[in-house]
Amino acid sequence: MAEFFTNLLGQDLGTLVWIVLRILVIVAPLLLGVAYLTYAERKVLGAMQLRKGPNVVGPFGLTQPLADGIKLFFKETIIPTDANKFVFVLAPALTFILALVAWAVIPFFEGGALANVNVGILYLFAISSLGVYGIIMAGWASNSKYAFLGSLRSAAQMVSYEVSIGFVLVAILLCVGSLNLSDVVHAQEKSVWFIVPHLPLFIIFYVSGLAETNRLPFDLPEGESELVAGYMVEYSAMTFALFFLGEYANMILMSGMITTLFLGGWLAPFGLAAPFGLVKLWGLFWFLAKIAVMLFGFLWVRATFPRYRYDQLMRLGWKVFLPFSLFWLVLTAGVLEYTGWMRS
Amino acid sequence: MELPNLAPALPELLIVASAIILLLIGVFKKENAGGGITALGIIALALTALLVVSGPSERTETFGGMFVVDGFAVFTKLLVLLASAVTLAMSRHWLRAEGLDHPEYPVLVLFATLGMMLMISANNFMSLYLGLELQSLALYVLAASQRDSGRATEAGLKYFVLGSLASGMLLYGASLVYGFSGTTGFDALAKALANEAPVGVTVGMVFILAGLAFKISAAPFHMWAPDVYEGAPTPVTAFFAVAPKIAAFALLLRVLTGPFGSMVEQWSQVIVFISVASMVVGGFAAIVQTNIKRLMAYSSIGHVGYALIGLAAGGPDGVRAVLIYLAIYLAMNAGAFAVILSMRQKERSLENIDDLAGLSKTHPMMALSLAIFMWSMAGIPPFAGFWSKWMVFSAAIDKGMIALSIIGVLTSVVSAFYYLRIIKVMYFDEPGEGLDRSISAPVGLVMGLATLAVLLFNLVPAGLFSSASAAAASLFGG
Amino acid sequence: MIEGLVFYLFAAITVASGVMVVSSRNPVYSVLWLILAFFNAAGLFLLLGAEFLAMVLVIVYVGAVAVLFLFVVMLLDINYLRLREGFMQYLPVGALIGLILVVELLMVYGGWKFADDAPLSVASRTPDPTAISNTDALGRLLYTDYAFLFQAAGLVLLVAMVGTIMLTHRTRTGVRKQVIAKQNARTKESSVEIVKVTSGGGI
Repeated sequence: MAEFFTNLLGQDLGTLVWIVLRILVIVAPLLLGVAYLTYAERKVLGAMQLRKGPNVVGPFGLTQPLADGIKLFFKETIIPTDANKFVFVLAPALTFILALVAWAVIPFFEGGALANVNVGILYLFAISSLGVYGIIMAGWASNSKYAFLGSLRSAAQMVSYEVSIGFVLVAILLCVGSLNLSDVVHAQEKSVWFIVPHLPLFIIFYVSGLAETNRLPFDLPEGESELVAGYMVEYSAMTFALFFLGEYANMILMSGMITTLFLGGWLAPFGLAAPFGLVKLWGLFWFLAKIAVMLFGFLWVRATFPRYRYDQLMRLGWKVFLPFSLFWLVLTAGVLEYTGWMRS
Repeated sequence: MELPNLAPALPELLIVASAIILLLIGVFKKENAGGGITALGIIALALTALLVVSGPSERTETFGGMFVVDGFAVFTKLLVLLASAVTLAMSRHWLRAEGLDHPEYPVLVLFATLGMMLMISANNFMSLYLGLELQSLALYVLAASQRDSGRATEAGLKYFVLGSLASGMLLYGASLVYGFSGTTGFDALAKALANEAPVGVTVGMVFILAGLAFKISAAPFHMWAPDVYEGAPTPVTAFFAVAPKIAAFALLLRVLTGPFGSMVEQWSQVIVFISVASMVVGGFAAIVQTNIKRLMAYSSIGHVGYALIGLAAGGPDGVRAVLIYLAIYLAMNAGAFAVILSMRQKERSLENIDDLAGLSKTHPMMALSLAIFMWSMAGIPPFAGFWSKWMVFSAAIDKGMIALSIIGVLTSVVSAFYYLRIIKVMYFDEPGEGLDRSISAPVGLVMGLATLAVLLFNLVPAGLFSSASAAAASLFGG
Repeated sequence: MIEGLVFYLFAAITVASGVMVVSSRNPVYSVLWLILAFFNAAGLFLLLGAEFLAMVLVIVYVGAVAVLFLFVVMLLDINYLRLREGFMQYLPVGALIGLILVVELLMVYGGWKFADDAPLSVASRTPDPTAISNTDALGRLLYTDYAFLFQAAGLVLLVAMVGTIMLTHRTRTGVRKQVIAKQNARTKESSVEIVKVTSGGGI
């Protein structure tokens, strides 16, 4: 395929067009996925609360997300007079873009990453550590107390949980010996899925993932009962929609990270062979299936747990997860050093 | 992959380990455990000193040549360890009285000491910088440790800002030197610069000198010293006045005789200028001081100037003179600060020179020791201070630096004025309310030992002389 | 060609945002420009093939340091006009010092002289980039040749941490804290007492 474009348009331009096409192939389904994740959320929540969920627009309410999107698109974007306009608009755009660019390094199937870089894990970590900017900037630019309080809470929360996520990543990294995400999956192919030896880390990572994406039970930055809607309180129409899309894209991304790091990425369970020799499709299928399971977990948690109190949230991050992940890191290093297990 | 030889760095490793253990004890006890942590800190310093003595005394390098131990390092490390241990011993009583007896205090003193030892052993600009930063960072915090006091906070902040500026200059200089010579190692630099040094290295060296001159509070980089000495808690001031200066001096000696050894002409002018400026500032500015801590700050600036004369003279004799000067300076200052720490009245600490009025009547022994320290600092024979000055002046005269020596003698006459004024206040002024009777045992012990050291130096100077000579010789590859 | 274009793009934006950091009126904007500068510097690292440094620059400086900057700047109520008051007054002195430094640097630019074995030692420490990824290469250097510096830098950070806690931590008295272990350890026996109350008798 790449040759086709380079022949057609010359070396440089052809490569460029090819890259842009590949980006579109990832982003377009992703946005569709985000739209239907909101639908799934409402349906799942509905089912768990013995309601029906959206069922009016289209068959089983399937076109509901499209209707919502169109509505948001046509509404007026209101920018408060005292707001810092540039930063106010930049913030949701940044959140949304960051949620998309992280996908560049995620391997969807064998050899199926947009950029198979050597430092994929670091890249993901870097991008997820930037997510906090969108929120801080939104809170500050809104020039409103609730928004600012929400953004402060959120920044403190995200920074706190990033620390333990970092240590979890280091432990995985020790077992793999490479920062390349494809190597992470290959290492799990050779031994076992990392959820088996690292079950506690999986739990820590999952919970920290909830906190990183500001999902329940850690949605204090929004905390509608006390902060109205936190950093989003002044946003409307498309700016709000971008935040919304960013949040859900981040959920999918977090599930993708968990899948790659702990659940063997594109690997089929029990080494099931691909039917009809469709190796790549088979890999993609399992990758998406695992993401779907993880996402269902996100929704399930939302329907089940009440919101955390802020001091308890901080306590959990700093006094439980951080020491434990540090301990586990040392344990992992010790086991690897003395047994040579999982070492090539 | 093989482990670097850790044996030469054993003393440093011991300090790291003990500092971390003490920190943990402090965290779980949440207090100084009745002085237990301080006591353990002093024991750790003593054990470290033992390790330093028993370690290699001939030149040994490790960590890829970044860390060096030689006779010079052993001598100066012992001085630093002694200074830190003395400070720790003296400080607890004062700190407890002021409600500052935090477990972090001894830990930070240990870390600062570690930084100084790394500085002394540095054989590369990178290890030099890290040692210096470790020491400085601990000292910034110590200066501000009395956080309810505006003056202490100001002292800490001032020290931090100006100290960072000095570190920046030092780093900039080091980067220039690296850029123009392609290496940061002292040995490689000495080889590269042996024949002729590019101008860039000279500029870099001047920046490095400026940074280090700040750390020893030599004029014209001394502005921070009086404010910081005055604002910081007195035990911290006592610490500042001695240990970091010894370490920075050691660093200066090693850098100027090692990598820049062939550039004597370039740096000796700078050193002579700094030396004269410090002596003049130390001599004149101190006259108008009423606060004894500020006075000690100016006095230390002056002493730095005298010690720099030895460095300007250069050669093994000059270095030996500097080392002896530092050793005697340690004794005099420790003793003087022991007295200042005992200046308490009704559980409040006093800092004015007038508060010493009539000390000879209320505390004859204390007055006598302070008088001896002041005589010694003024350089009046037969006390130790006289000999230390005599050593540096004679080293300078041997090298034909007559003018420098004459300025030194003149400023020391000027400085004698304010040293003797303190004696006058103690012996001839009418006593005021009088100081508290009780002096804590460690402070008294330090005072007594320092007095003895200053008095008896004349009788047994041979030990110090011969070890300082050996240390100085080791710096010149002897 | 693309690589060249990208280089000039990153370099130009780095320089421009650096200028904006010092010249923008609002300190929050300054920090945002600073972040942009970090980003583009990371991009330049990427072009050099130093991907590890690029990522660490983003994680450490953008993800952690600049967040704190931004926090502080947003929480401080800075009067922008007052900040600029002395600017014109100090400008001549500052400009003079800057000028002297520039002249000095130009003067010293002439003579380069490298230590005789410097190129050798540099060559021996730089592994072949095609054989080994640069994360690996950095790790190997950091934990062998520079282990001492690495550990010393760690100690500097430890001291910074101890210092910050010492200067800011206050144990507040009279605050009731939640002790979860204690709550969980409560049983019916230890907290509830059932008393038979005779009517009219009271307890």
